[in-house]
Amino acid sequence: MDSSDPSDLGIVVRDVWRHFGAVPALSGMSLSAPYGQVTALVGPNGAGKTTLLLVLASLLRPDRGEVRVAGLDPHHDPAGVRSRMGWMPDTFGLYEQLTVREYLRFFADAYRLGRAGQDDRVAELLTLIHLTEFAYQPVHVLSRGQKQRLALARALIHRPRVLLLDEPASGLDPRSRVELRDILRGLAADGAAVLVSSHILTELEEIADRIVLVSKGRTVGEHTMADLAAQAASRYRIRATDPAALATALGGQGVPVQHSANGAGTEVGPLTEDQAADLLAGLVHSGVRVVAFEPLGSNLESVYLEMTEERR
Amino acid sequence: MTPRGVWLVARQEFRIRLRTGRWRWLLGAWVLVVGAITMLLDLSLETGYAFGTDVRARGVPLFGFLMLFVLGMVLVISPALTSQSVNGDRERGTLATLQVTRLGPLEITLGKLLAAWGVGLVALALTLPFAGYAVGQGGITAARVAAVYAVVAILIGVVCAVSQALSSLLARSITSAMLSYLAVAALSVGTLVMFGLVAPLITEQRTSTADGIPYTYEVTRVDRVWWMLAPNPFVVVADSAPHLPRRVTGSGDVVIIDDYDPLSAIGNEVRRTRIPPRDEPINYDGEDPLPAVWPYGLAFNVLLGIGAVAITATRLRTPSRRLARGVRIA
Repeated sequence: MDSSDPSDLGIVVRDVWRHFGAVPALSGMSLSAPYGQVTALVGPNGAGKTTLLLVLASLLRPDRGEVRVAGLDPHHDPAGVRSRMGWMPDTFGLYEQLTVREYLRFFADAYRLGRAGQDDRVAELLTLIHLTEFAYQPVHVLSRGQKQRLALARALIHRPRVLLLDEPASGLDPRSRVELRDILRGLAADGAAVLVSSHILTELEEIADRIVLVSKGRTVGEHTMADLAAQAASRYRIRATDPAALATALGGQGVPVQHSANGAGTEVGPLTEDQAADLLAGLVHSGVRVVAFEPLGSNLESVYLEMTEERR
Repeated sequence: MTPRGVWLVARQEFRIRLRTGRWRWLLGAWVLVVGAITMLLDLSLETGYAFGTDVRARGVPLFGFLMLFVLGMVLVISPALTSQSVNGDRERGTLATLQVTRLGPLEITLGKLLAAWGVGLVALALTLPFAGYAVGQGGITAARVAAVYAVVAILIGVVCAVSQALSSLLARSITSAMLSYLAVAALSVGTLVMFGLVAPLITEQRTSTADGIPYTYEVTRVDRVWWMLAPNPFVVVADSAPHLPRRVTGSGDVVIIDDYDPLSAIGNEVRRTRIPPRDEPINYDGEDPLPAVWPYGLAFNVLLGIGAVAITATRLRTPSRRLARGVRIA
């Protein structure tokens, strides 16, 4: 799967199993997350994403399998893992009665950060999450997006090398999502290994470098974003000045035409990016005056549907 | 486990408790209730017990009854202090975020326990002025006040610890609260009921002779089950109260003043259960001391508290292997 040096990997999971009673949550899941990149963990509800994050967060013991977080085994060295790992659960788990600053200072203490740098670290994080003006406000006055950023700041307080985020983008407005993206990209750029889970692939389209697709407790695919986009077969809508010429040319190319000629244009596909590029070149070569050639829908969405479809 | 970690959790819990709920009102109501009880007790003793020029000291029964009442009340309050300690935090999702920090399970357990215990001790401390008033009515020694308060303080901690352990074992805080109250009821009422119910099982027939004629009679061997009463919090508090010096008055004919002392009365009654029945009468009132029951009861309760702390700490250890049904770890 990943041929890079293991020391470059913030997270390694190999053949991990976990049952809750008779219900299997993880059935041989494997994945890795390199430092300096954002890895997305994507799968439908019940695929085992939260369970895997609990295992990585040193809260849950797997039945079997190998787990390394920042190079350490959470079972044998939980303290070592905890000082290098930050975890944000899908329920934020904030103390509503504290002020924002008190909240972060408490966790700075809980992570045994020295008193000396604490104020600076808290101020730095408040700037990062844009909550400086709320420092002395109680947590319960914050909006959902603000609470979510505060939970992120808590996970970051001890400068973890590995960051685990469970459904961070769910329920966020577009602006908050952009801010989250910027923060996570910044952390990855600083060298952290970031693992983000979601059941909506497109949520992570702009955040992630790599995507791990999971379904029913197993890994069904591990791809870089670039590979995925290239592989993804998508439908295209083509418009030309002369629809009749376009139809003829398409017939000559042997391309499956989905349905043709309403006012919007002709839909073809599914085509991979390579096939699409070839088709466009062919059309232009045969003298069709193409004015629009656009992919329909998200590439990733169709990959996701395809991958999860296979496993049904 | 570091004291710093325990203190950090305790301070945090205490701060959150202080900011939720209407503590001022609750504690105010508590003071009013204890004050009203003190006043009513005092009035009833003034008219019925030490009337007019009676030399008996009203402080002895006043302090005794007041402390039994305070004990009963703190036994009612204490389970509520920790019955949500663990499962409530699980529901709110704040427990797991604590567990992924450098704080260990014992630090979290003890910190939360100390905060709850602290609230219980504040409630206990608020009764001190009324105990002081009772002491002012005469007859009570400083040693008795100190001992009774120390034992009640320990028992508050024990009940908090047991309730906390139940909260770590059960997923729903309503269930754990109910079971904590059952545990307190088992200790304070259940022990008495059991003691009464086993009586037929320990009753034996004995034969003796009177004027050469043999006859049989029944003896209930309570000395075999006296330990059933020992864990009772009321027994522990009453029996551990140091005896008061006998007060003597008069010059020629020495008169011993017989203050009515509810704590010693309970204590002596329980101690008598330890004496095996004998055919010949024995002199209870003499100087030969009755064997104490409270050290066993106190030891039992302290061990119960320590065991409860151990259970809670085990339940908070992560990474955890198994989860109780319905427990959501995050």
